[in-house]
Amino acid sequence: MSNLLREIQAQIAGVKTSVAKHNVGLVREIGDGVAKIEGLTDAMLNEMLDFGNGVTGLALNLEETEVGAIILGEYTSVKEGQEVRTTGRLLQVPVGKGLLGRAVNALGQPVDGKGPVKSDTTYPVEKIAPGIIKRRSVSQPVQTGIMAIDAMIPIGRGQRELIIGDRSTGKTTISIDTIISNARLNKAAESGGDKDYRPLYSIYVAVGQKQSNVARVISVLEEAGAMPYTIVVVASASDSATNQYLAPFAGCAMGEWFMDNGMDALIIYDDLSKHAVAYRQVSLVLKRPSGREAYPGDVFYLHSRLLERSARLSEKYGNGSLTALPIIETQLGDVSAYIPTNVISITDGQIYLETDLFYQGVRPAISVGLSVSRVGSAAQTKAMKQVAGRIKLDLAQFRELAAFAQFGSDLDAATQAKIERGKRIVEVFKQPQYNPISVETQAAILWAAQNGYFDDVAVEKIKDCQSKLSEYLTTRKSDLTTKLAKEKALSDALTAELKAAVTEFKQTYK
Amino acid sequence: MKISKQARRDGKQLFRNCVANGLLDENRVRQTVQQVINQKPRGYVATLTHFQRLVRLDVARRTARIESAVDLPDDLRTGIQTNLARRYGPGLAVSFARNADLIAGLRVQVGSDVYDGSVRARLVELAENF
Repeated sequence: MSNLLREIQAQIAGVKTSVAKHNVGLVREIGDGVAKIEGLTDAMLNEMLDFGNGVTGLALNLEETEVGAIILGEYTSVKEGQEVRTTGRLLQVPVGKGLLGRAVNALGQPVDGKGPVKSDTTYPVEKIAPGIIKRRSVSQPVQTGIMAIDAMIPIGRGQRELIIGDRSTGKTTISIDTIISNARLNKAAESGGDKDYRPLYSIYVAVGQKQSNVARVISVLEEAGAMPYTIVVVASASDSATNQYLAPFAGCAMGEWFMDNGMDALIIYDDLSKHAVAYRQVSLVLKRPSGREAYPGDVFYLHSRLLERSARLSEKYGNGSLTALPIIETQLGDVSAYIPTNVISITDGQIYLETDLFYQGVRPAISVGLSVSRVGSAAQTKAMKQVAGRIKLDLAQFRELAAFAQFGSDLDAATQAKIERGKRIVEVFKQPQYNPISVETQAAILWAAQNGYFDDVAVEKIKDCQSKLSEYLTTRKSDLTTKLAKEKALSDALTAELKAAVTEFKQTYK
Repeated sequence: MKISKQARRDGKQLFRNCVANGLLDENRVRQTVQQVINQKPRGYVATLTHFQRLVRLDVARRTARIESAVDLPDDLRTGIQTNLARRYGPGLAVSFARNADLIAGLRVQVGSDVYDGSVRARLVELAENF
């Protein structure tokens, strides 16, 4: 008891007893989650404001006679004439490994009913991106587990790769597959005691989506065992425009903690089109001047400052990275609209998904011609570089020739062979959702395809042949796949082993 | 009422014209209002409404309200006024009021700045800290 009394005494003594100075204002107008406040002469941009009763806001508009603030949380309790105080603080969210496996809102408060979030550190939601000197070029791959991407549009750690397409073309599926693939790699490295492997933690930011969709995503991640390596930040369609505006920045702050502490993280913004719409709503209610399509003039800056925070840091600054996969939804395939062109110009490449391909059964519906990764093969393992080098060219040639062949003219044998090879490559790249493929299996399959082992298999049987070959390599030739996973390159010896294995498989495949 | 951009601009211009040496001149304000009412230019009601708001905000910025739990002696009042004039410059309208809720101490508000040395504020701060 005496210890307790001493503690209380020390706490009381530690509390400041000098005169407190505050800066206050009065709410003049409140509506649509935005408050106009008179006074607050010392308010700073993005400063947190205290409305009392646990309600806080962010000062966004600093005008001559008033301050425009967006309210975080329940704004119905705010009344005209209510006193507001500045806090001298920026908006911060909890960060750290304690958030892994949790679903939180834009303020970092848990929404999954699993109790409070364990976190000792907070990071500001708005932060300046790392400077040029702190950065390093991208050279480590992000294994999405999707063959079409890992072979032809490789993504590296620290890159920003846009996923763009119409509704229901598989954009979210690609991002979830990436999370699942990396979770499996993390788990395998942990159980195998691989100290050299750098785990990749994922953050999925859901902006403006239906809560049923978010619940389904969480359920898929839980079933795949990916949630222990994932943070889900939710600002659903029923949340205020303020929360939807802040959610990507909050997620980015959580990712930056990993990057600043020498770890690698992946953040998915699903999607930035809805984020731009939420920002438009906030800006219009704040009476900011509107521009093209009623978006505010700084909508480009909204996304550029968010995406610039994804980077790979140099050794001196911890060697961490934050990879971003922003998602943009187009209308009727229009990539030349305002927001899509903005984000395309910011990112280091895009994965373009086409509705036509989707309905033709090519899933993932990636348009190889329009998709690009500006990092390229610098983000591929040597094995993938060796087998995937010609694939894009083969597919481009196939597309040209396929269009030509539709006219039914007689084609020479070499051209026919190219067309047949192209059809088989298209079949090989088809992949069911939530089934990522390991990079060594991908390399083996692509090697087999490039070396003509599928040429004598009917096109409609390619998927069956591929899955049986994968199973054969995984179960009967696990030494080979282990060596391939370890060496990450197809040496002469490994190539010979692979050749023998595939030949043996082909002899038994019917 | 809805105040158009033009009315805001005009109101602001009128307000600037009433400021002399950084302080609002009351006589000019009165003359300005009277002249506008006499001349009745287009949208003068909206202009005057916005002008009134600017004057109100300026007056609030230049007003100091000192609340105390008990009545303050004259010398203390003079001292406070002198200190405030030194910090905020001349032209401050100072008023004193009694507020028993403070329990003890002073609460001084000058425009948006609040200096709260009352016992009530300290109790509230203690409650927040614990």
